[in-house]
Parts: sequence; C-alpha cells; structure tokens
Amino acid sequence: MNGNTHNSADGGQGSATLAERWYVPVEIRALRVWLPFAALVNLLILAGEALRGNGAEQLGVLGAIVLLLILRASLPDGRQRWRRYAGQGLAAAILVLGLLSLLRRDATFYDLWATSWLVVPSALALYWMSAGLSGSWCAGAQDAGAAELGLARNRSLAPRFEAFALHTFLIHAVALVVAPVIWIVDVSISPGNILGGAIFDAFTLEHFRAVLGGEAFWLWTRNSLVVALGTTLVGLLLAIPAGYAFSRYQFAGRKGAMFVFMLIQMFPGIIILVPYFMVMKTLGLLNTSLGLIVAYSVTALPLCVWMLKGFFDAVPRALEEAALLDGCNRVEVFFFVVLPLSLPAVAITALFSFLTAWNEFLLALVFNTSNDAYTLPVGLASMIPATGQLWGDFAAASIVVSIPVVILFVLFQRSLIQGMSSGAVKG
Amino acid sequence: MSDVEFIGTTKVYDDGTVALDALDLTVREGEFLVLLGPSGCGKSTALRLLAGLEDITRGEIRIGGSRVNDLPPGARGLGMVFQSYALYPHMTVRANLAFGLRRGRGDARVDAEEISARVEEAAEMLDLHKWLEKKPRELSGGQQQRVAIGRALVRRPKVLLMDEPLSNLDAKLRNRMRFELRRLHEAHGTTTLYVTHDQVEAMTLADRVAILSEGRLQQSSKPLEAYHRPANSFVASFLGTPAMNLIEGAAEGGVFTAGELSFALPEHLAGRDGPGIFGIRPEDVRILDNGDGSGSPGEVPCRVGGVEHLGSDTVYHLEAGGNWIRALRRRTAGQAQGTAGGQDREVRVSLAVPAALIFEE
Repeated sequence: MNGNTHNSADGGQGSATLAERWYVPVEIRALRVWLPFAALVNLLILAGEALRGNGAEQLGVLGAIVLLLILRASLPDGRQRWRRYAGQGLAAAILVLGLLSLLRRDATFYDLWATSWLVVPSALALYWMSAGLSGSWCAGAQDAGAAELGLARNRSLAPRFEAFALHTFLIHAVALVVAPVIWIVDVSISPGNILGGAIFDAFTLEHFRAVLGGEAFWLWTRNSLVVALGTTLVGLLLAIPAGYAFSRYQFAGRKGAMFVFMLIQMFPGIIILVPYFMVMKTLGLLNTSLGLIVAYSVTALPLCVWMLKGFFDAVPRALEEAALLDGCNRVEVFFFVVLPLSLPAVAITALFSFLTAWNEFLLALVFNTSNDAYTLPVGLASMIPATGQLWGDFAAASIVVSIPVVILFVLFQRSLIQGMSSGAVKG
Repeated sequence: MSDVEFIGTTKVYDDGTVALDALDLTVREGEFLVLLGPSGCGKSTALRLLAGLEDITRGEIRIGGSRVNDLPPGARGLGMVFQSYALYPHMTVRANLAFGLRRGRGDARVDAEEISARVEEAAEMLDLHKWLEKKPRELSGGQQQRVAIGRALVRRPKVLLMDEPLSNLDAKLRNRMRFELRRLHEAHGTTTLYVTHDQVEAMTLADRVAILSEGRLQQSSKPLEAYHRPANSFVASFLGTPAMNLIEGAAEGGVFTAGELSFALPEHLAGRDGPGIFGIRPEDVRILDNGDGSGSPGEVPCRVGGVEHLGSDTVYHLEAGGNWIRALRRRTAGQAQGTAGGQDREVRVSLAVPAALIFEE
C-alpha cells in the first residue's frame, strides 16, 4: 500500500506530487479499517444485551454505533479542514457516550471490555486527528516534503499497527476458546453445585475429592481405558493391512470397497442404533467392553483406512523395489521399510481411534444398562439426572477426563504435524 | 559375474500394451551394455523384468545360464541403482549399505564382521566415510547417488542394473559421475545393464549399446558402429546431434530423386534401386561456395534458411527443392566462426560422400 514512494524532485510545483496524492497517515488508515470493526463488535455486544433483556438500557450504544459509521464515512482527507472539525466532534460525542455507558455499568471484566470498544476507538480517533503529524495532515497543513517523510514514517510504523491489530484479534479469538474452560474450572473449584456467579471467588477441592475418592469414577475410567485401548489396537491391526492393500494392490472390488467405506461414514449412527442393539443383545455383548470395542472399531475403521492409504500412497514404490532387490520378501518390505516410514500416520490413526472410543456417548449409553459397565462419558452424564444435579462433581470429573486427551495431543504433536504434511517422505 | 540372456522376452500389460516384444539380447560377462531409446521404448521394462519387479509374459531370462523367470528379485543376485536412488530415508548411510547384506539367508548369509568389512570397503571405494552416520536427506544429490551405487555393489552382485541413474543430477555433476561410473566398471568388471535415453551417456559408457524402439530391438553393436552404420533409419535419426538428414525418395540408375530434388548417388550406393531413405550426417554435408562448385552431379543448389551458432559448431538449415538439409561446420583452429553464408544466400552442397547411406524403410 506504500509502494509508490518515488521521489518527485520538483515537488511542490503545479499540482500535487505523487507522494502528496498517495500519502495518508497510517493512523487514519487504521481508523478506516477499525472504525467499522468497532461498530460491528458494539453491535454484537448490543445484540447480546438485548437477548439478556437489557436492550432498552443500551440505546446510547446504538447511537454511538451510528456515530462510528458516520465518523468512518467522513474521516479527514487531508485537504478539507471542515472534515477534521466534524471528525473531532463525532469522536468526542462517541467518547462521551462511551464514558456514560461505563458509568451505568458495573465494573466487571465483561463490562469494562464492552465499554472499551467504544472508548478506545473514539479516544484514539480524537487524539490522532488533533495532535502530531496525523493531526497536521488532517488540518491540511502539509507540503510535498512532509508527504515524503510521512510515507517513510508510514512504512516504518505500519508493521507495528498491523501487529497490534493482529494481536487484538487473536486475543479475542483465544478468549472465545478459553472462556468455557475457565468457566468449568471455576465450577469445579467452587463450593456447592452452583452454576455462574463470580469467577474464582472461592476455592475448594471437595468436588475433586468426591470424584476421585468414589469407586464409580475409577470403574468408569477402567472401562473407558479398556474400550479405548482395545479399539485402538483392533483398529490399527485391521486398518494398517487394509490401508496398505488398498494403496498397493489391484484386486477385484477395490474401488467398490473404498467407496462403501466412504458411504458408511455418511450414515448418522442413530439410524443403525436399534439394529446394532439387537445384534449386540443376540451375541450377548451388552454390558461388555468387547461389544463396545467391536462397535467402535467398525465406526473408526473407514476413516483410519483412508488416512493410512493416503499415507502409504506417498511412500515411493522405488523404496519397496529397492528392498525387494535387497532380498526382502513382501512382508519384510512392509515391516522394514513401509511401516517405519509411516509411523507418524500410524500415530495419528491410533490417536483418532482412541479419541473416538474415549469420547463416544450414544452407543455406550444404549449398550450399557448396568452402572458397572459405564464408560466415562455415560458415567459423567449419570451425575446430572433430572433432580439434584451435581454440577461441581461433574465439572471436576470432566476436567480429569480431558487430561489424558490433552496429554496425548502434547505427546503426539510432532507426529501429528508430520503426518498431516504427509508429502514429507522423500526417496 | 555372469552373462544375461533375454530369449524372446515379451511383456504385455493388462491393458494390452506391448511394452517389450520378443527381445533377444545377450549381455556378455563383464560387459557394460547400455539400453538406449526414447521414453516408452521398453528399455526400463526390460530392466524391471530382469530385476523381477514385473512378471514376464512370454519368453525367458537367464542369468549365468539358469532361468530366473520365477525367482524372487532378491534371489537373482542383482544390484540395482534407481533413478530416484530409493535410499531408505529412515536409515543411516551405513544401515542403507548393510541392509541388503543383513537380509542374506542360506548360502547368501553374511556374518556381522564380513558385513562391516564390506561396508567399509564400499565407503572407501566411493569416498563415503564422512557420511556413514548421516541420514540420506542430509546428503547432496551426488552423495546420495554414491550411496545408491554402494548399496548395489556391496552385495557383490552378478549383474549391476542402473535405471537412468544420472538423470537427477545437474549437468556438471552428471559428467563427473559418468566418468566415475566408467572407472568403477573398469575396476570391478561387473556385468552391467544400464538404461538411459541420453545418447551421450550411451556413447561414452557402453561397451555395447542396444537401441530399442516401441518394444523392439533395433540394433545392438559397439556405440561407434551404431553411429556410423545404423541398422535402420530409426537408429540413424536417434543417434547424433543434430540428427542425421533423412530424405525420403527413390533411387534409380545411380540418381536419387525426392520431389524436386535430384542428385547423383555416391559410388558405393550407385547400384541401389527402388524407394528408400537417403541418409547423411550433418557433419558430412560439405558446403561449397558458389565459386568452387565443380558442377559434379552429386552437388545440390540450396538456399540458406537459417543459421545457428553454437560456438564450436555452426548449424546451417538449407532448403533444397522442398527438402531441408542440416549441415554442420566445425570451427577450425584460429578461425572465429564458420562463414559459409548468411540468411537467404545461395550455396551448393555435396551429398555424394562415402559416409552417405540408404535405408530400406
């Protein structure tokens, strides 16, 4: 955007130089982008308030939003002085509205944040239009030399403005993700079973003690571990050879089988729930880990096979041929060459199978009628029946349950990234 | 070391493509034979059939006199260098070299001491000592190439197979590796079958060159013989840069006619009659300045249609009676550049030279 900084040596003569025509202070550029954005955020905040039934109290904010948009439309252009005065007036008005809104609100973190989206943009706009280099530009007091200097200054300042904007955006994105986690952590360490209220206002480990001290939780954990590890093992034992065969061999029905694998993925599980239940009942697999292992393996298998096939495809055939000439048979080729090269993919597949089984709820709920056979998700759900919800215990248990998942992700992080950029294996 | 025999070896793919059509070819013990041809001519297929990477449809392949059609690749006593090198990415160079030796079973079993001795020997020979503990991806293309050759040789193969081994290297390195391959062959004398589409590699490396086209063997002979006495017009046009001039026409009574062009054949071809293709290499075409034309019947008037200056050589594109003739003039010592004429100049060339040939088809 600052590409045209060519010096016109004859600056000032006749019409405006290239630099003069191009120069807009970086502050004003930032306002052009961020004023509409601030208006959008304020609109979202207003909508939220309206949903909570507080809309009527926020009419001032609505006015401020309109003013923000007008300010955006009438930002100074560096020539007409009146635009600077109009802009300063609008910014001041928004600032006043923002401060008024601040007075009417509580001093909670949320309220401070919400008002800052009015106060900060308007204060910055007012300051930038009144003082410093951008202020004099807004007043129309610039010549060719100042424009040249300004372009150079833009060039050095722009990265900092961009970094600031990016971080503002990222902090909001992170907050959106982290907020629920903070919430549930708060519930888990708050005494009693109350939802909501102030964050981190009290601390107790009673819920963790209750959960970890009870027998049921460990029983469910054991069930979940058996099911998840069993699913992973069975899934890998079936998916690895299947993926390799699909990748390397031509056989009758190969394409059809691949398609059917995809097709199965498209059915919502609930459609086959009843037949599934009857099959399990007939086989006597209700209330057993084996029943769930079988069911989950079948569920996870198609995607695992597809993922592994994709990875095996990326292993160059010449490597296998080299191994054949080095005296390997087909099985040795697979174990000595193909499998070691595919470990990242195998890790991903294992993780995927494990998580599928660890998180699954519906089948586990239907197949297991006895409390002893519950897996963790079903067990957790049983903590919040229609009466007497144990929110605190539930929150504590959910945190404990998600810890293995987090650990797995941290451990497998490198493999995950490697596996996802699967073209990395070169001959 | 052994000789290799292809006996009526045929490969037909499932879709009906005939990749190799009844190849009869013998690679003599200790010989460096180059399979040469354009892409899709079947040269790589021949190599892969010999290696056992693909099944033979008809005919047979013998190594050292015994039929290997149904032996697995690892049992044929071969070493192979792949175009992509195909080094095992997850193993060190040392492990790459030793991998094949570790797989040896039965008679081919090699004990640990012997393995490390042979790896050392290969490292010595190919100057790989510094790289033994590195992974292939840390090596440059040339070094990977050496490891690939080392891995093929360390098993002391009866026959060494190479599938376009130099095509992934840059031009400078390719020239050096070419020289080294020849030196290695002279040191070891391993029977070698080398596939390439690069005629320079074929001419410089081969004891004997076998030229294939569309799955058929066109000629197998010493490289220079193939150059000077090509068996047919395909070989003639494939070997040599710029390519041989081929003029389609008919010979009658010692005169060759092609469209508006007509000239007397040289003495050794004067007896030929009937349709044929007259062939003459660009460097054999003599450009005569208009003054010194003797007016003999082997001379043809031409117009210079284009000139390419290549530094050492100059290529003239001459138009003669609707036919294009390429003529090559070599820069001689002290002379700045060939000066036979600029664009559109009228010149005369002599085609009736002893090196001229006539092909049936």
